[in-house]
Order: sequence, then C-alpha cells, then structure tokens
Amino acid sequence: MELRLPELSENNDDVVITKWHFGENDFIKEGEDLVEVTTDKATFDIPAPCGGKIKKIYKSEGDSIKVNEILAEIN
Amino acid sequence: MKILDLGLTRYREALKVQEDLLHKRIAGLEDDCLIVTEHRAVVTFGRLTGENNVLDKRYFEDRCVDFEYTSRGGNVTYHSPGQVLLYPIVDLEDKKKDVSFYIDFLEKTVSNSLNVLGVSAERGERRGVWVGGKKIAFTGVGFKKWVTYHGVSVNINNDIDAFLKINPCGEKDILVTSAKEVLGKELDMARVKNIFIEQFIKDFKEEYKRQDFIYGAKASRVIRK
Repeated sequence: MELRLPELSENNDDVVITKWHFGENDFIKEGEDLVEVTTDKATFDIPAPCGGKIKKIYKSEGDSIKVNEILAEIN
Repeated sequence: MKILDLGLTRYREALKVQEDLLHKRIAGLEDDCLIVTEHRAVVTFGRLTGENNVLDKRYFEDRCVDFEYTSRGGNVTYHSPGQVLLYPIVDLEDKKKDVSFYIDFLEKTVSNSLNVLGVSAERGERRGVWVGGKKIAFTGVGFKKWVTYHGVSVNINNDIDAFLKINPCGEKDILVTSAKEVLGKELDMARVKNIFIEQFIKDFKEEYKRQDFIYGAKASRVIRK
C-alpha cells in the first residue's frame, strides 16, 4: 500500500519531511507514527495506514513534499 | 473542556503532562483539555531551528537557562516566569482538519484575550500576534492523529531582554514586547490566566461551531488506533 501526503491545510503550506520514525525493511503496525512532516509552525505525525514491512521510503529528511506525493510503500 | 493550570513548571515537566494527556486523548480516555502554565527560564527549539538563531549562548549559560529541543513546529523562542503558555490538547478529528486554520484560531484567541486586557493586539502578515509592530505571542504546535499539543506563549510580565539574544522564531531584527511594557504596569497573573481560559473556551466553540453542530459531542469520544 502506498502512503501519500494528505492535505493538512487549505493554504497549501510548504511541507518538509523532518523525521522518519521507521526505516526501510522495518515492520510497522497500523496506526503507528511513520513520519513527521513540518509546516512553518506545525509538526504533524502521519500514521501507517496498514501494518506490514516498509518496502520503500521515497523521501529523505529535509526534503519538501506536496500533497498527494508518495511518501512510502508498505507491504 | 478540562482546564489544567500547572502553575510554574520546568519545560520537560509540562511536556510530560502534555504527552500523557495527548495519548489519552487519542485513545478516547480524556476530554479536550487546555493546559496553562508558566515556565522557568528556558530556550526552546522547534523542528525548523538552527542554533545560529541563538546570538549569545553565553548570556543563557551564565544564567543557567536550559536549552530544550522539542517536537513542535517553528523555530527558537524563550520562556520565563510571567509569560503565559497555552497548550491545548484538543481533538480535531471530527472538526475542521486544517493546520493553518487551527493556528489562525490560536492567534485570534490570544489577540482577543490581549484586547480584553487593554492591549491592542492584532494578527499580522507574519505568524504570531503583534502590538504596534512588535511581537507579543509566539506559536508552535504539533499534531498526532489530529489531536493537538504544544501551543502558544504570550509575554505578559516576563523579562523580554533575553529575546535580544536570539532571533525569535528565526526572524532577524524583529522587536518583541510584553503586556507589561505596553501598559506600563504589571498584571495580575491569576486574572490574566482566567481571561485567556475563558476566551479560549468561547473562541474554540465559535470557530469550530459548525463542525460541533454536525458531529456533536459523541464524536469527540471516538477511540482511534
């Protein structure tokens, strides 16, 4: 399953990846925080939409990301 | 809305309370809560911080001021007794899920509270709350599963000289003020806190009214993974 950046604001604020809580090949449970993203004044933890093995991470810490761009893939 | 006035706290002590309530709120074991506190002198860094925004580290070291790296948004700021901290732990899952809208709301309620105190505060083009071009309140929030934590700090009676030793919020050359400086007198902190609490409850109901009407109180108790 692909995890994409959800819409956090109607303002389309710039969003930056600030912390991956898990790495590739790690196992994660549904609902656990996978990645933290940050806008100008807010951090936002995005949970895993399903449990499984993290097959691929598409963005690094410090990268900018837009709404609906792919963050990671979970098997 | 549960209100929790922690009095004077160390930053980490209050953070632990926040995190505990945050996890309980996510699990549906707590209602929405507003934490109010004042911190012992501390410099805190948000996620977008560079240490280069501390202009005079020695100044803080000489005064035994702690440095804390936090999980909130935003950049560097300074807290000390006489500054009001509002840390709302509120669940937006069934309300308007919009990060900017929430920060706008926080700034509005702080501005409204300051106006009640006789301080002509307003929101500016840049984030924060301002009085005559000087910054008086600083936002930096966090979200987990659309439950909020961290919040906003407002200068009331506190020492503002320390802000000259940092770039507050990472912004160079901004001027900082306090209610005490604006009004030329110290304010009673108990009265100040009550005004902020009452205004927060009122504004939260109004700003998120439509969503409350649609979903009702039941939705706020939904247990989520």
